[in-house]
Amino acid sequence: MSSIGKSDQAVPFADLTDTAASAEPYRIPPIPFMRKARPYLILAPALLLTIGILIPFFISIYYSLTNYSFKYKDYSFVGLHNWVKMLTDPSFWHSLWVTAQYAVFSTGFEMLLGIGIALILNQDGWLARALRMVLIFPLMIAPVIATLIWQLMTNNSVGVIAYALRSIGIDNFIWGADPKTAMFSVVLIDVWVNTPFVIILVLAGLRSLPKAPFESAMVDGGSAWFTFKTLTLPMIKPLLLIALLFRSMVSLQEFSIIFALTRGGPGDTLMSLPLTAYNEAFTFKELGTALPYMLILWVIIYIMSYYLIRYWSRAQKNASGN
Amino acid sequence: MADIALKQVTKKFKHNVALNAVSIDIKDKEFYVIFGPAGAGKTTLLNTIAGIVVPEEGVVTMNGKVVNSLEPEDRNVAMVFENYALYPHLTVYDNMASPLRSPKYRQPESKIREEVHRVAKILRIDWLLQRLPSELSNGQRQRVSLGRALVRNPEVFLMDEPLTHLDAKLRHQMRAEFKEMQANLNTTTIYVTHDYMEALSLGDRIAVLNEGRIEQIGTPDDIYYRPATEFVAQAFGEPEINILTADVVNKGGSMHMNLLGNSDHFPVPAQVKGILEDSGLNAVRVGFRPKDIKYSFSDDSASSLRAAVYSIEPLGSKAILTVHVDGRLIRLIAAADLEAKPDQPIYLKFNVDEAIFFDPETKRFIARAGKKGGRSVG
Amino acid sequence: MGHKNPWNQALKNAALALYALFALFPLFWMLLISFKHDREMFNTIFVFHPTLDNYRVLFSSGEYIGYFLNNVYVSVGAVLLSLVVGVPAAYALARFDFKGKENLAFTFLSFRFAPEMLIILPLFLIYQKIGLYDTPFGLIWVYQLISLPFIIWILRGYFEDISPEIEHAGRVDGYSWWRVFLKINMPLIRPGMVAAALLSFIFVWNNFTFALLLAGQDVVTSTVASLKYISSDTVHYGQMAAAVTISALPEVILALLIQKHLVRGLSMGAVKG
Repeated sequence: MSSIGKSDQAVPFADLTDTAASAEPYRIPPIPFMRKARPYLILAPALLLTIGILIPFFISIYYSLTNYSFKYKDYSFVGLHNWVKMLTDPSFWHSLWVTAQYAVFSTGFEMLLGIGIALILNQDGWLARALRMVLIFPLMIAPVIATLIWQLMTNNSVGVIAYALRSIGIDNFIWGADPKTAMFSVVLIDVWVNTPFVIILVLAGLRSLPKAPFESAMVDGGSAWFTFKTLTLPMIKPLLLIALLFRSMVSLQEFSIIFALTRGGPGDTLMSLPLTAYNEAFTFKELGTALPYMLILWVIIYIMSYYLIRYWSRAQKNASGN
Repeated sequence: MADIALKQVTKKFKHNVALNAVSIDIKDKEFYVIFGPAGAGKTTLLNTIAGIVVPEEGVVTMNGKVVNSLEPEDRNVAMVFENYALYPHLTVYDNMASPLRSPKYRQPESKIREEVHRVAKILRIDWLLQRLPSELSNGQRQRVSLGRALVRNPEVFLMDEPLTHLDAKLRHQMRAEFKEMQANLNTTTIYVTHDYMEALSLGDRIAVLNEGRIEQIGTPDDIYYRPATEFVAQAFGEPEINILTADVVNKGGSMHMNLLGNSDHFPVPAQVKGILEDSGLNAVRVGFRPKDIKYSFSDDSASSLRAAVYSIEPLGSKAILTVHVDGRLIRLIAAADLEAKPDQPIYLKFNVDEAIFFDPETKRFIARAGKKGGRSVG
Repeated sequence: MGHKNPWNQALKNAALALYALFALFPLFWMLLISFKHDREMFNTIFVFHPTLDNYRVLFSSGEYIGYFLNNVYVSVGAVLLSLVVGVPAAYALARFDFKGKENLAFTFLSFRFAPEMLIILPLFLIYQKIGLYDTPFGLIWVYQLISLPFIIWILRGYFEDISPEIEHAGRVDGYSWWRVFLKINMPLIRPGMVAAALLSFIFVWNNFTFALLLAGQDVVTSTVASLKYISSDTVHYGQMAAAVTISALPEVILALLIQKHLVRGLSMGAVKG
């Protein structure tokens, strides 16, 4: 007869803490290999690739301590010689200065312009909607190609901008070839390409803001600037930080625009760290002395990104707490 | 068609022990309810039986065979998930057909069509077969989830709070339908819920789980009339049982409890007296179910305890009457049309024969005079 | 939205128009020029007789087509490799919990920031030693630095959006883990995969530095080839413009396709958008 539903008369109340009831030790059967290995197998390809990518990085550190040159077969270990040489070379500090300038100016303008345009685009007019779709285009153009386009536009013979400038009396603006306007030129191209990145991010943030706080602020009668400062800004802070993070990290190591426009010139006006390293390695064919320039840049980028990401993480938590 | 047993199963997630030395024994074709509050470990327990989770300690057996790390697809269990877990990109038909198209339980398409239509008809969702889950209401999704399980012929049905996310009316209706289905299922079923009414009405046996430990296993009568711990007593029954601390006093040969400032009205029943004497306790915890307390507005009996009305909550067919005595609130069941004013004097009579006695230290069941409910494992 | 100051609005529209001009005119002008015959190049700017000659020359020489196809080959290869490696990795990050998980996730992210030149210098050495220099696979491998972070970070979010219960249901239904992944997970993340793949494709297509320095003779991508036009004294401005237009066209089209997923993609999944 089925014993379903009948209480177990034979078994008295067992004490919960009485483990003596389980006389035999329960051997846990081993987990089959496939089941145990599965998580590792899944992650394996990515890990292998990561290791493959990190290897060149460690090799860089090694070679930076040698006098390896592409010209000769032999090389020897020179310790920190290359590093010391670099740090005491004024051209290094100039490179650092150029790199910093480029990053600060391009990122700075992109952030300001991006935020401003995003604010204006955050309305529902037909123009705004149409533009939102189309303004992404510059971001899709390779920086090298963008440089080419701007070179063409400012070309004295056929360029439309050159033409326009000439018709208002300016005919000696030589853009990249002039040390005084070279930085301006490359920053302009960078801003042209990358401002849409900031716009898209900030716009997404603005459009996801809840309406309620703003409506009550309007009832309370604050000015537009005040609303922006105390309401909008904190809530879109995480996105602003992401935009800042990406733009600054990438612009610090920008190579193609400067290379394409002037190869680092005129003279050494635009010799940023990557350009200097390029020169050292591919023109002078010295690897050992080129590496420290990039390794220093990497350290700077890594440290900055670490703190920016931590800051972003905190801002993200604050923003969602609202 | 299976017995399932867990012996001393422990499962930890990071620092949280989800299951702590859990042992249960489920007989073939039994409708076994696992009851517990949120976070008790019910879903983890079900996942362990299904094979989704592998325990750190202990042994899981099906039909006597150890299956601790046997993959879920090899266990031939059917599961209804708390949030239905329907495949969003498949129609209702394809959702229900899914298990019958799997490598393990494959059936020919003609058979599939037959089965899906049969089950869909029983569950009254046959008119929804071409819809996507996103186009269904909660109740409909629940039926599809159920249907996906019912087209199978598994060793055991696992149901994880299937009625929880339905609105109250639908839930009561589905409970009745489940009861009817249960009789026809003819397969071992493990049903998880935090609703005590579902547990009492559907289960052949109930296992009460609290914070990863089993508090009691028994029939519905066992659980309700002889709860192994105060936790179990409080979990089953609405309004909640009133548990009070009392001193044991001896008054001229008979044992009384000093309760609510009064010892005359609470004699200890004869059957319980012996057990209390043996245990040598000076104080006990006594539980009175709301329906075991009578009330009257006139002081007509010497054994009435005077109290004051605190609040009345009319609930349609009955009302919950809360009264005030000796600094405590006591809940009773009252007639639906009862009228009374706050602080109005009221006279209570406690049925000590139905009272449940607990050890004040361990909070565990000591004794009860009433006959109902056999002894159960806990 | 409150009192609308007409001056305010006009100012806003003016600013917008100005920016739109700044952003779009260069592209528009390029397009225009590409239809302009060399001999008309120096005179009037906007009024001219359109011609397809520039494109004809570009295509007939066959060289540019070769560069374009190279770019397609290498970019598609890179994205495919990233998908094969990145989809499981994204799944692992979304589902599993293990020590150092967030560190690993950050490492993937940091690939995006790694200075190109820093990678190129040692690779220039290594590639020549192991014969990957100037090969398609060499570029495909190095391009992982660009495309893999996108795939992993974007898809991680999509996997996290799928309830684990659905996978459990599949297992219980009788499907092995791998089958569940293929038949249930993959279809559900398909929009994310498409978006991530397209976005990666765009940035890999646009790459200049790796393609220039780790390849350049046999494997020349269209992006690198464009440099030839900058440095040469060519007077074939029209062809230059045509080459640029063709090079930029795929990305512009792709950008229109992934409008919806742009925010999630560009912020690398940091923002759901």
